Amino acid sequence: MRRPGAVRQRRRTEVAGWLFVSPATLLFLIFIAGPFVFAIGLALFKWDLLTDPVFIGLDNFVKLFTDPILPRVLANTFVFAFASIVTHIVLGLLLAIAVNRVVNRYLSYFLRVAVFFPFLISWAAVSLLWKYVLDPTFGFVSQYAAMIGIDTPNFFTDPSWALPAIIFIDLWHTLGFTFIIMLAGLQTVSPELIEAARTDGANSWQVFWKVTLPLMSPTMFFAMIITFIGAFQVFEPIQIITKGGPQNSTTTIVMYLYEKGFQSFQMGYAAAVAILVFLIVMGVTLLQFWGRKKWVFEA
Amino acid sequence: MRFRRGRTALAVLAIATTSVLIAGCSGGGGGGGSSPSGSPDSGELTFVYLGDANQQKAFNALFAEFNKQYPDIKLKAQGIPAGNWADFSNTVATRLAGGQVIDIIQVATEGQRLFASKGVLADLGPFIEQDKAVVDDYWADINPKLKQFNEEFASGPNGETLFIPGGFNTMGMYLNKSVFDAAGVTIPADGNWTWDEYLAAGHAIKDKTGAYIQAAGSSYFGDAMPWLTTNGASTFNADWTKPTYNSPAAIQSAEMARQLVAEGLSPEPGGQFDAEAAYKQGKLASLNGGRWPVLSIRNLDMVADTVVVNWPTKTTNGSPVGWDAWNIAKNSKNQEAAWTFIKFLMSKDAGEYFATIGGTIVPARESVAKSSAFTDNAPEGSIRLSEAMSYATPIPSIDRGAEAQKVIEEAWLTIISGQGDAKATLDAAQTKLESLVANK
Repeated sequence: MRRPGAVRQRRRTEVAGWLFVSPATLLFLIFIAGPFVFAIGLALFKWDLLTDPVFIGLDNFVKLFTDPILPRVLANTFVFAFASIVTHIVLGLLLAIAVNRVVNRYLSYFLRVAVFFPFLISWAAVSLLWKYVLDPTFGFVSQYAAMIGIDTPNFFTDPSWALPAIIFIDLWHTLGFTFIIMLAGLQTVSPELIEAARTDGANSWQVFWKVTLPLMSPTMFFAMIITFIGAFQVFEPIQIITKGGPQNSTTTIVMYLYEKGFQSFQMGYAAAVAILVFLIVMGVTLLQFWGRKKWVFEA
Repeated sequence: MRFRRGRTALAVLAIATTSVLIAGCSGGGGGGGSSPSGSPDSGELTFVYLGDANQQKAFNALFAEFNKQYPDIKLKAQGIPAGNWADFSNTVATRLAGGQVIDIIQVATEGQRLFASKGVLADLGPFIEQDKAVVDDYWADINPKLKQFNEEFASGPNGETLFIPGGFNTMGMYLNKSVFDAAGVTIPADGNWTWDEYLAAGHAIKDKTGAYIQAAGSSYFGDAMPWLTTNGASTFNADWTKPTYNSPAAIQSAEMARQLVAEGLSPEPGGQFDAEAAYKQGKLASLNGGRWPVLSIRNLDMVADTVVVNWPTKTTNGSPVGWDAWNIAKNSKNQEAAWTFIKFLMSKDAGEYFATIGGTIVPARESVAKSSAFTDNAPEGSIRLSEAMSYATPIPSIDRGAEAQKVIEEAWLTIISGQGDAKATLDAAQTKLESLVANK
């Protein structure tokens, strides 16, 4: 038999606990769980925003399998996401290693700020900036390339070049974030372990492959997860620079969702696409967690 | 088992909740009884219009003028700085779906069919009947074609009047006189020239000054339609029921636009070419547009150095025309006050005032378009924009207008940037447009 005082105390603790988590819970319910449930319901309707919605059951989900544009859109998105992961992880890591080796403290701070700075600029400004830089007639790139006899493509109207150009712009803008994560990870690598490896006769390359990289793997894993999630939802640069063109070569899944919802007024179908996005992101993330055992070093 | 039943119940509850929420989300089609609501002299009105920061200054001055006459009508005017009318219409539709009450939407041709087809606008017939003298005076002073287009393309499903047409825009060319003079090219005195004369002028200007004749673009209204209409083509047939984007004349028009880029008379599209700066620096011989470039021309202090001419022709004079129109939402609580505001906008005083302070449209009233309010502090030949109404083609804007616009612009960009053959590209676009017409 419990003492009444102890029960009261436990209840008080429970109430306090609920009160502490209630703001976060409320925000989660309003901004995440609520819209998610709403989207599931919305996907069962045909709704053009202006007239009354009509219940159509699973038709919007069936349409996902017959939509002729969706495979191209998914392919674009996966290409973007894969390229984004590889370039961010490789370059982010290399930059972090390079900056981490800089001995001069002030130069190191300067380099950190310089690499991270583009990430602080809004997507709208970045997009317009690169539209100027890559302008086929007046852009710096085409002008300097012409000086050395190189004929540059029209990056934003050539279907073969538009997606690579967007991938590059995204890399320029967001690499700083991956770099900071990698730098933080590098600083957790114990210098004693590196010293021990050197003492055992390991050269720089071996230290990197056998010590630094395994110890960095949890950080790289985290960077991979968030880079994939971010890349899969890319929207702003595409909306501002190419609007999904030319010839759908840069239409990614979120851009497509936006077009369906707010240009075609197919809100139900757009909700079905949103659910597909959720399922893909969740599926790939689970796959990454499953694959983690094979390459992430757990101390 | 209990767990599974619990999950099913949860799912049913979620769907039921969502259904209730969605049911409450219809975009304002309801309401609007048989008699107009509110008072004509007081109340709160929300008016949305397309306008960037530059245009909003002019609009704000106009609204202040209205409030001098009707101090008890509180006007909440909201400018939406959308890039084009299709985006504007989408934004307004989203706001309506979100439950916002908008009493008056100033919407151009590109969005009129969207709103007309969704049953969200009130029949203006009773208001017109009630103020017949005011409305008749307005009809008598506007180009009869504008009234005809409004009836033909923007009426409700049962022929009801949903819009009062306001100002309009046609397309012309603002020529930089200094560049033409430097190249020794004569500007056509009557404002008319042919495609061949235009190409010859482009080459002479390029050779002698290095300037481009025009910026290459792919906007539906400002780039594709002028080349199409000056060759007797369009994107759709006369009643917008069938796309005609791959007609031989349309293909020839697209090839002409491509020729300008291919021969170096226009810069390559696809970047961020600053046409206004280039115009001021003498690196660009013309700015294309309706009335709206006048603000930039004034800001660049180029009014005296600019002349407006018609778009060069292949077979006939041609131009698209799009017009602003005012309406009253069915669910407006102050329909009478909204009508008062529309009457104000129709008045000659408001038209003159708006033209004077920098309105970016050709005034609907011909008396205003021909007055100094429109022609003062504007380039020579500005009246040609008003006269173009006599031969202009309403910009085809089907119910699924935003999607059609995207198809049209993408195809045009593909052609002018040399990424696709004109015929094959327009054939593919035609198929997409046919699908949009078939699946309303």
